[in-house]
Amino acid sequence: MRQTRAPLPSCVSVSSLGSWGSMIERARLPVWALSAGIALVTSAGCVHEPVGAPSSAPTASRPAPATAPAPAPASASPARAQATAPATAQAPTAAPPASPAATARPPTKPAVPASATAPAGNATPRTSPSTSAAPGTSSASAGAAAAAAPASAAPKPAATPALDLSSLEQRLRDTKAIGVFTKLSLKNQVDDLLDEFRAYHHGQGPSTLTQLRQKYELLLFKVLSLLQDADPPLAAAISSSREAIWGILTDPQKFAHI
Amino acid sequence: MSQRLTALLTFAAAGLGCASARAADDAAFTKDLTATIALQGQPCSKVIDAKRNGDSDYNVTCQDGNRYHVFVDPNGRVVVKKL
Repeated sequence: MRQTRAPLPSCVSVSSLGSWGSMIERARLPVWALSAGIALVTSAGCVHEPVGAPSSAPTASRPAPATAPAPAPASASPARAQATAPATAQAPTAAPPASPAATARPPTKPAVPASATAPAGNATPRTSPSTSAAPGTSSASAGAAAAAAPASAAPKPAATPALDLSSLEQRLRDTKAIGVFTKLSLKNQVDDLLDEFRAYHHGQGPSTLTQLRQKYELLLFKVLSLLQDADPPLAAAISSSREAIWGILTDPQKFAHI
Repeated sequence: MSQRLTALLTFAAAGLGCASARAADDAAFTKDLTATIALQGQPCSKVIDAKRNGDSDYNVTCQDGNRYHVFVDPNGRVVVKKL
């Protein structure tokens, strides 16, 4: 007995699709629903990982470099200087040691100390380099000075910007303007520079302070050149913190706390 | 007929979206490799091909003809060797 059905203009004629066709026909799915479903499945299949992206597994499993500093205490603001000036570098090595499977996932966000999870709103305010040129000025002293000044007697803004290194560090970790390999390469160079500073403070390094300054500037330029197009706010924040970071690096006492 | 055309167009759109996403990822990765090579002080105008040898291990071909082996050594250092 031939089954006659009224044509459904908005439904799919899927008699040639076998059991699936009959199911769809019974359900009377509109064609757009079928198409959307197929597109959804196809798109889900497209969720892929970068073919060439390096996996985080090798960087996570490799031993930390001997020069890598220990995690800084949460309360010590100068202690964050190394991680920030060196910036991004700590991101790859701090990746979780697990995940042996070589996934091509972008760099996993490392376990960050509590202090490094400061909100982005605490970013270092952008000021002119001249205002931030006071080396050795810490955020604590700036904050104390700002708090001690009476509101009525201080109409002018604070001359020294607060150096929020933890925020800078976190922003550098999170930025997508720098790739995994580049971040790791920057970390290597930052560690090398910190080693030279350490040797300088111990009176053993061959480099003079002028040479260290040149290397520091060069490294900073590299970071800024990587950030200036893809993450201009972060580049500006780092640029404005240049002298404050330098002040920490050149102060033996502050550097010792790194 | 129009229904089939709609389905076909949907497939095509999904395929195009997939291809564009992959292309964007590849572009970001080649840019990463280019920056890495430049950070090591080696000349490379632009990475045009990267062959994966293993985890964090690539043979890279630059547009200017230079070829490099970019990898992460056991100490966690990025090494760029000219091939």
